[in-house]
Amino acid sequence: MTKHQQGGASILTEEEKVSRSIAAMIRDKSREGLLVSMQGIWEESINQAPGADKGVVPEIDLQALLIVRMKEEDDLTAIRNQEGQPRYYSSRFMSENYAKILIRKEGDPLVLIAETVRESSSLASRPVPVAIFLASPFHLSQVEISACLQQMREDRRFQDIRQTATSIGTYFLYSALHLDPDRASMLSEWLDVGQHQNP
Amino acid sequence: MATFGGWAGKVLRVDLSTGRISTEDTLEKYKDVLGGTGLGYKVLWDEVKPGTKPYDSENKLIFGVGPLAGTGAPSNGRTAITTIYPTCWPKPLVATGHFGGDFACQLKYAGYDGIIIEGKADRPVWLSITDGKVEIKDARHLWGQGIRRTNLDIVQELGPTACVAAIGIAGENLVPMSTIINNVSHSAGGVGSVMGAKNLKAIAVRGSGYVRIAGDKAEWEKVIKHHLALLGSNNQHVVPNSPQPWAEFSHPGVRWVASKGRAWGAAQPPIDSGTCDPHDLNRIAYRTNNAAFYLGNIAWQYTVRGNGCTSCPIRCHTLLRVPYLPEKYGNGITENIQSTCVRLLFGRFFYKSFTDGFLGRTAFDACMVGVYLIDDLGIWDNYGQIQRDFIKIYHEGTIKDKIGEAEFKSYSWDKYAKSDPSFLFDLIPRIARKEGELATVLGKGTGALFGQWGLPEEEWKKDEGLGYWKMGHPQHHSSLEAYQLGAIINTQYNRDVQCHTHQNFLRNGLPIKEQKRLAKDLWGSEDAVDDIGMYTPMNLNKAKMTRWTLLRKELHDSLSLCNWMAPVVASPLKERGYSGDDTLESLLYSIATGEKMTREELDEVGERIFGLHRALTIRDMGTKEMRKEHDTFPDWVFKDRQGRAPFTPGTTHMEKNDLNLGMDMFYNLLGWDKATGSPTEETYKKLKLGYVAEEFEKKGLLP
Repeated sequence: MTKHQQGGASILTEEEKVSRSIAAMIRDKSREGLLVSMQGIWEESINQAPGADKGVVPEIDLQALLIVRMKEEDDLTAIRNQEGQPRYYSSRFMSENYAKILIRKEGDPLVLIAETVRESSSLASRPVPVAIFLASPFHLSQVEISACLQQMREDRRFQDIRQTATSIGTYFLYSALHLDPDRASMLSEWLDVGQHQNP
Repeated sequence: MATFGGWAGKVLRVDLSTGRISTEDTLEKYKDVLGGTGLGYKVLWDEVKPGTKPYDSENKLIFGVGPLAGTGAPSNGRTAITTIYPTCWPKPLVATGHFGGDFACQLKYAGYDGIIIEGKADRPVWLSITDGKVEIKDARHLWGQGIRRTNLDIVQELGPTACVAAIGIAGENLVPMSTIINNVSHSAGGVGSVMGAKNLKAIAVRGSGYVRIAGDKAEWEKVIKHHLALLGSNNQHVVPNSPQPWAEFSHPGVRWVASKGRAWGAAQPPIDSGTCDPHDLNRIAYRTNNAAFYLGNIAWQYTVRGNGCTSCPIRCHTLLRVPYLPEKYGNGITENIQSTCVRLLFGRFFYKSFTDGFLGRTAFDACMVGVYLIDDLGIWDNYGQIQRDFIKIYHEGTIKDKIGEAEFKSYSWDKYAKSDPSFLFDLIPRIARKEGELATVLGKGTGALFGQWGLPEEEWKKDEGLGYWKMGHPQHHSSLEAYQLGAIINTQYNRDVQCHTHQNFLRNGLPIKEQKRLAKDLWGSEDAVDDIGMYTPMNLNKAKMTRWTLLRKELHDSLSLCNWMAPVVASPLKERGYSGDDTLESLLYSIATGEKMTREELDEVGERIFGLHRALTIRDMGTKEMRKEHDTFPDWVFKDRQGRAPFTPGTTHMEKNDLNLGMDMFYNLLGWDKATGSPTEETYKKLKLGYVAEEFEKKGLLP
């Protein structure tokens, strides 16, 4: 029981209040495009707990509360990073695909680039313009991207990741596991040049 | 009028030769063809004899809007302007120019579903329409003025809510490649000089009425909200072009460019376009920024906002404020530039390359200069054909060969060679003034390169890069991206096909797996659509989609629904499996007019309108042999630049027998004779076009 009945009205227990607040926080962060870690939940909860301004640390098992809440509200979802640490998001406000990008961002940028390219090649038959890794949510620098691509060329894990240039010099990446080079070249040219000449 | 809602009930007829102004009942004469292009085709059929030339006073210019114009239906701002087209080569035939803006709604609020302009004034005039008061006014003080000045002068007289559709000096000078423009940037191509030939500088309309919705008002509101909820960004692209938290998919090629950190930098204060969750209907207008999409990230800092048409949340015309333009380029250029799509790219398309690339400052400036010039002078680009022609004849030395030395030397070719945007100030005004041989030929359109300069059309038909299709006009969303469907629809009109029905689906950004799933529901099989760069042989479902594509185009152009947004058969909503609603047109029509029609019934009206266009083309060409003489493909369709065979990865190379099979299937679905490509007598009768069958029987034009 997490609620007490008093005079017909439902009064939330302290645990209920906290777990609702965690759920709201996860949803807010998802709207902003952010995953939430247990550490983040802990820090937020401490700040909002009664007595926080007096330095009182609440004695609540936040993870247990969250697990219960997740059973009740199925939009709250956990995804694990390479180290197996859970990250939380609301599927109401964040897609699984986006959450996967954020998880990959926590790890090896080579894997981030390669997996993004592979997914795009396999699911959507699309090469990826290199420049997308400069923008949100990737936010890699040009120097980082160049270094990653150089390393990938020398790493046998990424030999399927190929590069093609369009007639106006834009570089695209694709996975040779999923796209034929001719087709990748045509698709890149279409995205970069053809579509703009045929608005 | 009867009890129908939607229509205003009257069509205005203005005879500029006699000054006679009259009205006629819309529903009595035109209900069967709705309005818009349907109205235009019907007037031409009834009143304009075969062989009439574009600039003859007997030619008519029909501004048609439909029953949804001026209602609350999303994206209803379209006006169709139909006439005998001056750029159709070698023989002028029926075609339509289209513009958005506020003209359509103001016309409806003034009480009219269309304007038929006939005759020719004996001096420059403009037409003033304020509700029931219609006057032909002296325009001698406006003749020779740009479109902006004309607009300003008239608005000062009629008030700020008046909408002014005007021609520039290109139209006045009977330059075939000219436009009519309203609301700064909403242009109808190819029709400006027909207005000029009638000595009509502008039509200004201000209405204080309303459009009556005949059906249940609550139901109407519900359908409008449903429609809005299904909208994507411009061209009904339903996924964002970069990963967004809410989005399962993204696609770098779509026009949904909003993202946190991308801001309208010239707004005060700047406005972040944000993540634009599709459930937030108050953010629809932030999704699209066509300047940023086409000109690159450089455009964000100059973006003030998106502008657009009546009742459309998409705002596909980007308003830019570029403070340095007046000082850098002079020639009266303003710091405010507004445009969209191919017009936005007008200046850039003249150049083969730029030292700082196609998304750099120079290309951006070329676009600004181009928009400034063409929207004031009233010049048409013919979907980029004028630029492609110019590049070819310049680089091959044809210009030097064809014009005199003095004229050649009068151009600042050094600037052009350096891709300097200011070269456009040298070339473009000359086109509007018909100044010299080069400018005159360019202003006549591609046909003049063949007819006047004797260049071989075959050369244009061989070169994919020139984008030329036939009859003086280019391909438009053809086999290069829509394979058999794209090829077939490009055979059907007398100008570029100007059809976006298929594009609004094929380029929507959803992965092919999702598109195929939706295609199965819409056209009976996943095989109706192909993944780009991986097309498959023709099949019946592709033919069904092709038929649907053209019928909906005519339906949209006649209802006044924007064919750059409709149909809405996909949506950004994951919870709907990304489906849209293929019945929206009939839902809107039924409630607005009070005449209940199913999707299939309304599609048959679209088929009637399309059939009437076909009949006009047959009549004016004087032959029933349409398959052989009209519905033709350029040679480049059957070639691959890299020698790849049809149906192999990466090619758009079509196979002749397969495409012929496609034409057979298409004709068959429409009830047209396969041998000639002409509708049969039974088909005309089925479409309530028995009057066409009767006339064609006498003339031997039935198959």
